[in-house]
Amino acid sequence: MNKKPIATELRLAIVLVPLMAVLTILSPRFLTLDNLTNVVWSVCFIGILSSGAIYPRITGGIDLSLGSTAALSGIVVDLFMNRMGIPWIPSIFLTVVIGSLVGLFNGFIVAKIKIPAFVVTMAAKTYLYGIALVVSQGAMLAILEPKPFILISTGRFLGLPNPIYIMVALVITSQFVLRRTAFGRQVMAVGSNEVAARLSGVDPDRVRLISYTISGGTSAVGGVILASLTQQVFAAAASGIELDVMTALVIGGTSAVGGRGSVVGALIGAIMVAFIINGLNLLNVPNLYQPIAIGTVIILALLLNEGYLVPKRRTLSRA
Amino acid sequence: MATNDIGADLLLECRSITKSYSGHVVLDAVDFSVRRGEVHALVGENGAGKSTLIKIITGATGRDSGQMVYDGTVVPMEHLRRDAEALGIAVIYQELSLIPGMTVAQNIFLGKEPLRPLTRLIDVRKLNDQARDLIERYQFPLKPGDLIDDISIAQRQLVEILKALSGKASLMIMDEPTSSLTKTEVEMLFKIIALLKSEGISVLYISHRMEEVYSLSDRVTVLRDGKLVKVLDKEEISPEEIIRLMIGHKLEEKAVQHELSPKGGNVVLEVRGLTSVGKFEDLSFDLHEGEVLGIGGLVGSGRTELVRALYGADPFDAGTIRYLGKEWVPSVRKSIEGGIGFIPEERRLQGILATQSITRNIGIPNLDRIAPRGIVSVKEEDRRAARGIELLNVKPPRPEQLVGNLSGGNQQKVVLAKWLVRDLKLIFIDEPTVGIDIGAKEEIYEHIRALSARGVSVLLVSSDLPELTRLSDRVIVLRQGRFFHEFRECVLTGEKILRAASGIREGDDE
Repeated sequence: MNKKPIATELRLAIVLVPLMAVLTILSPRFLTLDNLTNVVWSVCFIGILSSGAIYPRITGGIDLSLGSTAALSGIVVDLFMNRMGIPWIPSIFLTVVIGSLVGLFNGFIVAKIKIPAFVVTMAAKTYLYGIALVVSQGAMLAILEPKPFILISTGRFLGLPNPIYIMVALVITSQFVLRRTAFGRQVMAVGSNEVAARLSGVDPDRVRLISYTISGGTSAVGGVILASLTQQVFAAAASGIELDVMTALVIGGTSAVGGRGSVVGALIGAIMVAFIINGLNLLNVPNLYQPIAIGTVIILALLLNEGYLVPKRRTLSRA
Repeated sequence: MATNDIGADLLLECRSITKSYSGHVVLDAVDFSVRRGEVHALVGENGAGKSTLIKIITGATGRDSGQMVYDGTVVPMEHLRRDAEALGIAVIYQELSLIPGMTVAQNIFLGKEPLRPLTRLIDVRKLNDQARDLIERYQFPLKPGDLIDDISIAQRQLVEILKALSGKASLMIMDEPTSSLTKTEVEMLFKIIALLKSEGISVLYISHRMEEVYSLSDRVTVLRDGKLVKVLDKEEISPEEIIRLMIGHKLEEKAVQHELSPKGGNVVLEVRGLTSVGKFEDLSFDLHEGEVLGIGGLVGSGRTELVRALYGADPFDAGTIRYLGKEWVPSVRKSIEGGIGFIPEERRLQGILATQSITRNIGIPNLDRIAPRGIVSVKEEDRRAARGIELLNVKPPRPEQLVGNLSGGNQQKVVLAKWLVRDLKLIFIDEPTVGIDIGAKEEIYEHIRALSARGVSVLLVSSDLPELTRLSDRVIVLRQGRFFHEFRECVLTGEKILRAASGIREGDDE
């Protein structure tokens, strides 16, 4: 009881390793480089979005407009490159700026007008989807050009798909910002006790504004990566992804009421879900059963993060 | 006072009520009674045991021993809130027990709504009619269909009263009912109390405001340190007498007497004509280097609002502030950068980050030092946390401990540590020792003295009179948001402060 609390990441790894061991025993195909690469590759999109979505979550809010922002970003980057003829690098840059502005607008309504984030971003999810529909004229657009753009996601470096590098870079950066910068400290403080944070010199409105802006920005990055990977863009491209991201955050130990969280934990959470899906597939369990398995894992993770299921360690998580 | 001892005259009779919390006796064999149809005031300093006694009567907490008889019924040791309500005991809370999104009528009859006989659904028309009847009977300015959200605090109190009346209450307990009311609202409340009395309902009234106690009560019970001091009859009641009984003669054991010594030295903070409409008005004073200036006054006298405005947490409307000789318009960030600290009134709500470690708590106001370029130097952060923990003797001395899991005293030490690891010139301290144990209290006093000895100026707000008299070099008493009296160069006692806070002018200060 008087020992140092175990870090969330470590606690997750303790669960992850036996899970992998079981899957390895059950299916010889599980522990192969190809299969593992595939699993990690499949969570790249969730990992990228989580690296930004965690900020609003820790402040005690939520960004439910991630999926719509990502889909819109794919359509917009295509618009810039293939219809307006802007070179691909500035096109991506502009798209990320637009995504950040979308986040900034969400943050403005949440921080300044004080409307609950859940409602604000739920509305944003809908109107951004609407804008995406209009811009794309409701069509599914194929992106075949430019080649370098397609290579962002389809290319490999040292044998691994590029998106893995992008995701790892974003997750590490985000984790660094959360753990080692003044801003990260302030995000945690606002989520823990906004009034106390304010009296200690933190500007909660500014912290919220920046948090939602980051979330919008990483959603746009995710949207661009997704577009390059699938080579097609449409308004419903990332529909429902916000739930997968929130699942990853929850499993990764990000508190539902704010004040605590880890991007690396979220990534491990996403990988854990992916492993389970992968394992079920390898074992030829029908897809029908997947949601039951995933839902159960979420509940178990919540119990674990709240200090249950770990004997004699009930004190480590809650005040 | 051998008044009539006829049992039937008494609505509530408590004999020898004793209660202790973890070995600390808060009520020591207290006798207490309320007559039918009287207005009875319960007074005492903070910590005298008033709230505990009320909690026992209303069943919010149990008693360790002692008998209780209510309206001829012996109240068993197992006495729950529900039982108290059934007996006819009602408490008027400020606004806590009303449901904001529901109407006045729905709140009055919550849990006892009239039902249609067949369907067992709520008879809305009857509900509103009954509410209207009740409102008209007492002529309250309310409408049955108004939402609680849309009405004033005073009106909410009226709804509370109606709720109690609809439940056929015979004793109505009001805990500091006037603290958030305007003058006209207070007058209206007094009329209502008189009306209740005329209907034979007893009112048990708790207040720090002597003039209210004086003008309203038929009898006054004075508690001090968990013991019954005296029960005053109507003709014995005077503010001076009540204060004398509340404070008692415990000067030596608590060392409440203190030689005030105004310190010379440079003026650190110069306040002129500071006004915040509805909170405080036209306040002017100087605070010198190394001086501890105490601010006395009752709850609601504008003390907290004053320090919040000076720190930059709330805006003000008029007046000027000069800090270290320069014109100063405060903001929280400027204050922190300029060497000013702030210990807020409510530790849990305003002071600590409960879900964060001691290190993070201490780090937050020091980010300018531990992360000057935005990147946190973990080494510097740990160093400051270690220093804070050692300096204040925080227990357990584990930097990674979540502050929410610490005891109240240690939480407050962490709040103080945040500032003590900085180079301070001035600190505002609001109620530093509420709800913390005596050991931690003494340690915090030591630190306040040490700060002053180092030349740091302290503005100290406290309702704890011995605390205020012991620590302050000079005391200013506020009353109803205005300057009322300043104590300097005299022997100060808690009694003097309380008399001033209650509006009693001294002939002279000796």
